[in-house]
Amino acid sequence: MSSVATLEAGDPGRRLLRPDAESRLFLRLRATIAWATLRWMLAHARLRLGLVVLLSAMFWGSLYGLFVEAFGFLDGLHAEVISLLFNAFFSSLMVMLVFSSGILMYGSLYRSSEARLLLTLPVRAETIAAHKFQEALWFSCWGFVLLGSPMLVAYGIVREAAWPFFALMLPFMVSFAVIPATIGAICCIGLVAWIPRLRVQALSFALFVGCAVTVWLVWSLIERGPADALSAEWFERTFARLAITEQKLLPSWWLSSGLIEAARAGRDPVGPAVAEAGKFLALLIAHAMLLHLALGWLAAIAYRRGYSQLCSEVPTRRRRPLGWFDRALSSAGTARGRPLRLLLVKDLRIFRRDIAQWSQFVIFFGLLGLYFLNLRSFNYHNAYASMIGFLNLAVVGLILSTFTTRFVYPMISLEGRRFWILGLLPVHRDQIVWSKFLFSFLGGLLPCCGLVLLSDWMLGLGWRLIAIHEVCCLFLCMGLSGIAVGLGARMPELRESSAAKISSGFGGTLSLVISSLFIMVVVIVAAIPTHLFLLAHALGTGRLAAKNFLTWAGGPQGTLASLVVVAAVGIAATVIPLGLGLRSFRKLEA
Amino acid sequence: MIEFDHVTRTYGSKVAVSDLTLAIPRGELFALLGPNGAGKTTTIRMLVGLLQPSRGAIRVCRADVVRDPRSAHLHVGYVPDEPCLYDKLTGREFLWFIADMFGMPRHLAEARIDREIDHFELDEFADDLAESYSLGMKQRLVFAASLLHDPDVLVLDEPMVGLDPRSVRIVKDLLRTRTSEGMTVFMSTHTLAMAEEMADRVGIMVRGQLRFLGTIPELRDQMAVEATTLEQLYLELTAPGSSVGSPAPGGIRP
Repeated sequence: MSSVATLEAGDPGRRLLRPDAESRLFLRLRATIAWATLRWMLAHARLRLGLVVLLSAMFWGSLYGLFVEAFGFLDGLHAEVISLLFNAFFSSLMVMLVFSSGILMYGSLYRSSEARLLLTLPVRAETIAAHKFQEALWFSCWGFVLLGSPMLVAYGIVREAAWPFFALMLPFMVSFAVIPATIGAICCIGLVAWIPRLRVQALSFALFVGCAVTVWLVWSLIERGPADALSAEWFERTFARLAITEQKLLPSWWLSSGLIEAARAGRDPVGPAVAEAGKFLALLIAHAMLLHLALGWLAAIAYRRGYSQLCSEVPTRRRRPLGWFDRALSSAGTARGRPLRLLLVKDLRIFRRDIAQWSQFVIFFGLLGLYFLNLRSFNYHNAYASMIGFLNLAVVGLILSTFTTRFVYPMISLEGRRFWILGLLPVHRDQIVWSKFLFSFLGGLLPCCGLVLLSDWMLGLGWRLIAIHEVCCLFLCMGLSGIAVGLGARMPELRESSAAKISSGFGGTLSLVISSLFIMVVVIVAAIPTHLFLLAHALGTGRLAAKNFLTWAGGPQGTLASLVVVAAVGIAATVIPLGLGLRSFRKLEA
Repeated sequence: MIEFDHVTRTYGSKVAVSDLTLAIPRGELFALLGPNGAGKTTTIRMLVGLLQPSRGAIRVCRADVVRDPRSAHLHVGYVPDEPCLYDKLTGREFLWFIADMFGMPRHLAEARIDREIDHFELDEFADDLAESYSLGMKQRLVFAASLLHDPDVLVLDEPMVGLDPRSVRIVKDLLRTRTSEGMTVFMSTHTLAMAEEMADRVGIMVRGQLRFLGTIPELRDQMAVEATTLEQLYLELTAPGSSVGSPAPGGIRP
């Protein structure tokens, strides 16, 4: 039987496709694009591909090791603890999947040029929605698989589960992930079709409620301090608080229960435990399919209408609450430096108006701040506190490096599109590069130094360590900005308009790798004297010669020497890339 | 072929298109003119189903664009002002995707793809990824894709942007041939010379209203001015505060 239905008998060049033929066509499209992308990456971006695979494997391996240790410890405890942990973990992921899939669907269904093309072709709205849903599911699930699979494999290994557990693991994860992702997609389409004007408020409200619940849960678990941690009372209280995640109507409970049953099964694939696990899997699959049908039905009636509604919006006039700051910055200082300040103000305005930039900045640094605020609850000993202080410094640097790579590195390339404006203005090219550097350096300095101070304060570190950390943070901000701006000016991609594509290219990857190495060098060099000092104390009265050397290296002389090295590395990381970038940018022909 | 029946489209309190009634018969090349923000792109987006009218109905070959968009789309080829392609598909793969979307049998699709590659001189780059194309190359490919299924109605939004003079000539010749074979063309443009040269009728929109509908000689008669070129007439009609030309009556003019 043909897969097409004839609309006009006399016109073989125009026929409406059946739903299955439409789906096959989109699958073919996706396969062709995936194959072309893979070939392109193998030909042009081997470094990036290799790094992604290597870092993912390292991440997976580290998580696996961590979970094996954790499950080994928990295995001796009551089985309910595992169930509780699974339920808490999967229910949190479920909420995150709802949001991430909803946001991805919004971008791809309503804001992409592909949707604009597909809506003018004779294809069903529900097929377009299904096509974009598969994309959203893929993008929102990789994190789930990357986090969930090492945990489940570790659980299976520790519990000595038989092969049915490992065979059922992937179907369980996929069928579970479809449910929250579909709910997110349904919410997105419904919201846009029926309350388009309130979509931002609705999303913000939902996000606010989600964050508030998370903060309350985390806070309530640790509010009583470390004294009674892991006591019977603490366990009871924790169980009671997390009981909300053990609702039997939640898909996360079906998933947890199914996996625990599957792990209980012996080597008999038709045993009662596997049958029980199969029931939970069937429950998940049935709900995933039902919700997918609902999504198709909703898309058929609401997608085109929602798309049209969204285009009806009149842009609101922008308020300028920080206009005074821009004016003050523009007019302060000498006339010679005015072009540089004007460029700085322009970049600040763009940053404030680009929700993708500042929201990620706020979310990542905000979460880090939340973690630092809770550090005191864990009551670390001195040696650990010092080590954690340095690790926190590294984390702050790594987060800043992701921002400098993602948002600062492409800035010079993005100016390429406006090069005809800047080229005609009385602005020296060096000032363009310097303005990007200052924007990144000054913009990163305050939040990073503030976070490091907060971390050290909560850990109860002394003023000497705090000062060392702050100096390191200063050089980290300077070096990371120098690397991103310098390499961005040295390897600009003037024809590319997408910042994401620019930062994920060779130059962006190189910038990220160099930034990571730079952070490691700075933190390790700065940490050596402190830890030698602690080691000297740990040696006690024996081994006098070694102790004397360690005391000297860990003393003021050693600290000063390490800070000199940190400063030298920081200045080199700033000056060398910036110099290369400035020289290259002066010669650039747009 | 194309019918706008008392179509109104609002953006909040702003009326982008007001009570547009217009019918364009088979084989006509219609040019919609007007200053920026006049409502041309909104009209075209409603015609191709991207936007739904706030009031009224639009039909293409008797198929209602809102109620039965898929049937309407079968008859329409659309060339947008900004060409949209898949970066990681080659030009030929893109044409195959469009041919498959219209359910074309394999042998017919192959013949039509070769025909359009030949018409638009795409052969040199048809097997390269679209991400390497210039704007003009992209525009030629989109033209080729829009004509693959031999549409009854071709909708063009600023079609000549990015095309070199040779490509412009190819497009003009093709439009002439296709309209003589019965295809209807609905085109929005700022290139008055092209409208003057190609269009059977023109419509001039100002602030969402169709201020004039007819042939260029009719426009000249109606305005009763000395002006001889379409440019002069257009500027006269669309000048701020101009009282020349009242909202055009609905329906087809002979």
